[in-house]
Amino acid sequence: MAAGDGSEVAVRSELRRVATNLVFGALAAAIPGLRVETLDERQELYADLGLDSLGFVQLLLELEGKLRVQLVDDELMTIELVTVADLIDLVERISLRAAK
Amino acid sequence: MKSGSDASGGRRAVAAARDPLLPTHWFNILHDRPQYVASAMSRSRLTGAAKRAGHGVHLQQPLSLARQSLNTTDRFIPIPDEVLDLYAQYRPTPLRRAVRLEEHLGANARIYYKYEGANLTGSHKLNTALAQAYYYARAGVKRIVTGTAAGQWGTALAYACQVMNLDCTIFMVRSTLRQKPIRGEMMQLFGAVVHESPSDLTEVGRRVLAEDPAATGTQAVANAEAIELTAEDSGSRFAVGSGENSVLLHQTVIGQEAVSQLARLGEFPDCVIASMGAGSNFGGIALPLLGAAEDAGRPIRLVAVESTACPKLTRGRYLYDLSDALGTTPITRVYSLGSGYVPPPVYAGGLRHHSAGPLASAMHADGSMEAMAIDQLTSFRAGMLFCQTEGILPAPESAHAVAGMIDVVSRHPRGEAPLVVLVNISGHGLLDLGAYRSFAAGEIEAVSADEASLSRSLSALEEFNQSIAEPAEAT
Repeated sequence: MAAGDGSEVAVRSELRRVATNLVFGALAAAIPGLRVETLDERQELYADLGLDSLGFVQLLLELEGKLRVQLVDDELMTIELVTVADLIDLVERISLRAAK
Repeated sequence: MKSGSDASGGRRAVAAARDPLLPTHWFNILHDRPQYVASAMSRSRLTGAAKRAGHGVHLQQPLSLARQSLNTTDRFIPIPDEVLDLYAQYRPTPLRRAVRLEEHLGANARIYYKYEGANLTGSHKLNTALAQAYYYARAGVKRIVTGTAAGQWGTALAYACQVMNLDCTIFMVRSTLRQKPIRGEMMQLFGAVVHESPSDLTEVGRRVLAEDPAATGTQAVANAEAIELTAEDSGSRFAVGSGENSVLLHQTVIGQEAVSQLARLGEFPDCVIASMGAGSNFGGIALPLLGAAEDAGRPIRLVAVESTACPKLTRGRYLYDLSDALGTTPITRVYSLGSGYVPPPVYAGGLRHHSAGPLASAMHADGSMEAMAIDQLTSFRAGMLFCQTEGILPAPESAHAVAGMIDVVSRHPRGEAPLVVLVNISGHGLLDLGAYRSFAAGEIEAVSADEASLSRSLSALEEFNQSIAEPAEAT
């Protein structure tokens, strides 16, 4: 593996770690009583965490503030997220776009 | 068809011709009173109920609208240019002094009214329909599905969807659609698909019809049918015409205009009166006046007038409740008669919703406004009087506001300074001529809530609140 590839993997890994922390923190802020240490990427947002459409809105607004970006309606209206990992993927995508 | 450049030139001309009285921003009361946001609470947080695995979460409405409902940082929120151009087609709406009505009543008052019935859909509902259709279209939604009671909201949304190139499907409460089928025809004229609710198109509709084939329908069932249909199509979304904070926000163009129009006359009202369905026409006129009164350090009295058939503010409980019969929408803390309450049919279908919206409820709970209930016989009498003195036939809902206003001014002592009142005539009653004809023929009765039904529904509401009182973690 070339050195450049290794550093890209490291960057992606760090980005994933940051996105995961962001998402865990936002979930804990949006869902009263939820503790970060009990969260797992495989958990389902609705079935396991009880996140509904209003909670999802609050979560997105929380993430918007932390990412310092204005989320756009046409992207968000078409997505459906099942697991915590899906949400982390979304935050990664938004972070990468914002960085560009 | 006009070419693109001609059209954009036309739009520039429209923008240049905007009346300076037309507000360029919506007034956001949540900036002044952030505590009002807290009365909305997520259903799942309260119930902690088991959820179906594999079910995803998605946005029910554009984040732009959700931001408006939760925004506590901006006192004024800019109105998008495209919406402003559409507002400019019918705004500012007239503000007039009801001199002949004053003379007829012999009241010690100066009565002003704001008239929202002069747009092509006939009511204030267009103010939020255009805004919502704009945001939904921008978000890529293809169709809006909704429930409508009296039909003003349905008509307004049908037109707004046509303007924004959206499909529109409407479930209209059976009792009102049969009272005034021409409302449904207007919606169809604007390209909407209209269904009578309850219908056999949805599971919830079929369930209601199975229990009572002659069910008159309610706003809660119509909304539930709309939500069920929406769930089957990812390009569709459910929208509401009253109750939500963002809806009240869009309606604040009414009150802001009124503040400016009254200022030109050197007036400021002592009292603002509007009818109460879930709160949009009330909030639209009252909230900017409340803000202006607080800025000026002067008192103001706000009066919401509801129907005795659906007396949620005067006889309801301030508890958590559902706003649709399916229980899909978030539970909010509201003055309610219970989501299972079926009001007796009255001509003011727009006042038949079982609960006030969260914002109006919070205002009532903290004493920022008063409420009174008026029966439909009294309201038709007031509507007829308003028509004969002012030449405007108010919608049955607006006639409740007129009746409430007459009650307020008739109680004002003669020896005091004249009371300055502002009443919102939220819509015209030209599609309610049949109802006014029945009134003139002596066929209208004063309808009150059915006591047994009301008592059962309130008990169920209290039991529901006890059932969700346990913390979610404990379940």
